[in-house]
Amino acid sequence: MEGLCRTLPQMDYFQILRLSATAAPEEIKTAFYKQSRGFHPDRFFHLNDPLLRTRVNEIYKRITEAYYVLRDETKRRKYVADIGGPDRAQKLRFTEADEVQNRQAVKKEREEEVGLHPKGRQFFQTALRDAAAERWTVAERNLKTALTYEPSNPRYREKLVEVQQHLKSDMKIR
Amino acid sequence: MSEEIAIGIDLGTSYSCVSVMQNGKPVVIPNEWGEETHASCVSFLEDGSVLVGNAAKRNIITRAESTVYSAKRLIGRYYFSDEVKKAQAVMPYRIVEGSNNSVRISIHDRQYSLPEISALVLKEMKAVAEVYLGREVTQAVVTVPAYFNDNQRQATKDAGRIAGLEILRILNEPTAAALAYGVGRDVNQKVVVYDLGGGTFDVSILEIGRDVFEVLSTAGDTYLGGDDFDDRIMTWLADDFQAKHGLDLRQNRYCLQMLKEVSEKAKIDVGMKGSAQILCEGICQDTARRVLDLKAIITAETFNRMVMDLVQRTFKVCDEALQSARLTAADLDAVILVGGPTRLPIVRNSVTHYFQKGPLEGINPDQVVSMGAALQAHALLDEATSTFLVDVTPLSLRIGTVGGYTEKIIDKNTPVPIDKGKTFTTSRDGQEKVKIRVYQGESNRADECEMLGEFEFSGFRVGFRGEARIAVTFEIDTNGIVNVSAADLETGQRTTTTISLSSGLSEADIQRSQQANRSLPRARTAS
Repeated sequence: MEGLCRTLPQMDYFQILRLSATAAPEEIKTAFYKQSRGFHPDRFFHLNDPLLRTRVNEIYKRITEAYYVLRDETKRRKYVADIGGPDRAQKLRFTEADEVQNRQAVKKEREEEVGLHPKGRQFFQTALRDAAAERWTVAERNLKTALTYEPSNPRYREKLVEVQQHLKSDMKIR
Repeated sequence: MSEEIAIGIDLGTSYSCVSVMQNGKPVVIPNEWGEETHASCVSFLEDGSVLVGNAAKRNIITRAESTVYSAKRLIGRYYFSDEVKKAQAVMPYRIVEGSNNSVRISIHDRQYSLPEISALVLKEMKAVAEVYLGREVTQAVVTVPAYFNDNQRQATKDAGRIAGLEILRILNEPTAAALAYGVGRDVNQKVVVYDLGGGTFDVSILEIGRDVFEVLSTAGDTYLGGDDFDDRIMTWLADDFQAKHGLDLRQNRYCLQMLKEVSEKAKIDVGMKGSAQILCEGICQDTARRVLDLKAIITAETFNRMVMDLVQRTFKVCDEALQSARLTAADLDAVILVGGPTRLPIVRNSVTHYFQKGPLEGINPDQVVSMGAALQAHALLDEATSTFLVDVTPLSLRIGTVGGYTEKIIDKNTPVPIDKGKTFTTSRDGQEKVKIRVYQGESNRADECEMLGEFEFSGFRVGFRGEARIAVTFEIDTNGIVNVSAADLETGQRTTTTISLSSGLSEADIQRSQQANRSLPRARTAS
């Protein structure tokens, strides 16, 4: 217990739950239950040993934290990217700063689903894909169609202006 | 030497219940008169003694100013909160302001804090258990609504200490009910606990994986309960009476209490028999000094129409819990009903309809929570503990930032225990103290959240602004109670932490209350 407590700060969430980094979502729950059976503070409650109790509590808090982050697909993706990077040592614990970034990522995802009319959203999304593949003329057409459903959507207009600028510069090159 | 023993107490808004493990099974403890549930009611008698329980409840009308009930609605609240204002309008006892915006109850020129009142109920439960077991009991698990915030949990814990009990755990009521259902059953199921109590509504969704009880989500409404159903009947009766006789029964505290009593009885009758006769002879006199009776018949249909919106409100909360758990009603294997009002056919039928599944039979909704608490109490003292409970925090933990806004530190429905760190620094040269306000709630705005207190850190290295780096740790423990500590990041030295602006009791207050509590004799009356 003492040894585990000492190495805790150097362990990533996968190591804490004794999982491989490629573990499937169901495995995360199974591993959490297994670790709970071993390290749940209630197991040691009857022992009148404050030091042991503190240590178990420290370990178990990290187990719940690991589970909380890894069970969430978005958080997990972010975390895996973080600990695979050069700042691994600083990124072993998912922090609130990461959550801000995470929220921004979610917001961006949501923005791509922007729009009130389902058809408009559909055309907008197709247009985004076209734009990403630099099919500017097709993207322009799709955005214009999206705008027929929702003429005042600022996001659609903004994207259209952007695509039209690309179109113009493409023409110049030709 | 006798074996250690710990009891489980369900400290309810209207009724409380106490259980203990015997021969491997939780058993509800009856008092000397065979009563298994006890009104959470405290009556201060002229001779200085205190009457608690069902006998005290009978004093609500005759000794209205010195009989306290529904204290749980006020525990851990600030004096300025809406709940306190509402209570002041309807409660016959005097609710006054104490220090730091706390609430006090004034009786016979003495002021009692809410933990002191609840302590008297807990002391009664302790006494009931001691008589039954024939030995002293000093340890207990006490349950609270899952949606209780830190202030309310802390105050409940203080109540336990004042009553002379070591509180092994503050356990969430729906979680306790799920324990009572699942322990020893060896199942892998997802269950929902629908807990409609006297004053609060909670819903928790749990996954039981044999011996691990994982709460997936919890949601609640601490302003919704059986009392609100009574209120609807009261309003209906009083409006009707006013139309007939031109007198408003609500204007007189005595009439109001009579009205409350018949309304509660009518609710129970209408649930059991499909209709209720209401008769309250001589409730008041008119201006010509004629004695008037209150008479009415309430049918199930009328009653259902009156309370339908309250029932619907519970399902808004259920929607929220399912969404947080990322489940739909079809994913659930069982529905557990808890709390007296869930006996009402309108509630049972609506629950069946909503979850597309009938609730489990054979569970006593008044007793299951205390039985679960007894199971947990036993598990904590037992060496061979084989139940592992993972609960969640019901509310997001936040810290105050500039301009009256807050920043989220720990999200709601995060499994506990958990901690999270954040580094703070000084904003002025030579600054010696750093203050942080901690809140619980779901709003960005501080004034829409519940303030837990202001934490002040000092004893770190003083330097230029931005130089000192103070690592603050926010911890939520297995009781759902928040602990804040800080250390100087450079030296690792723990800083001194003082809490202010909190409505809670100080250590000195608690010790004084313990003394006072011991000196209050328990009144003895035949039931």
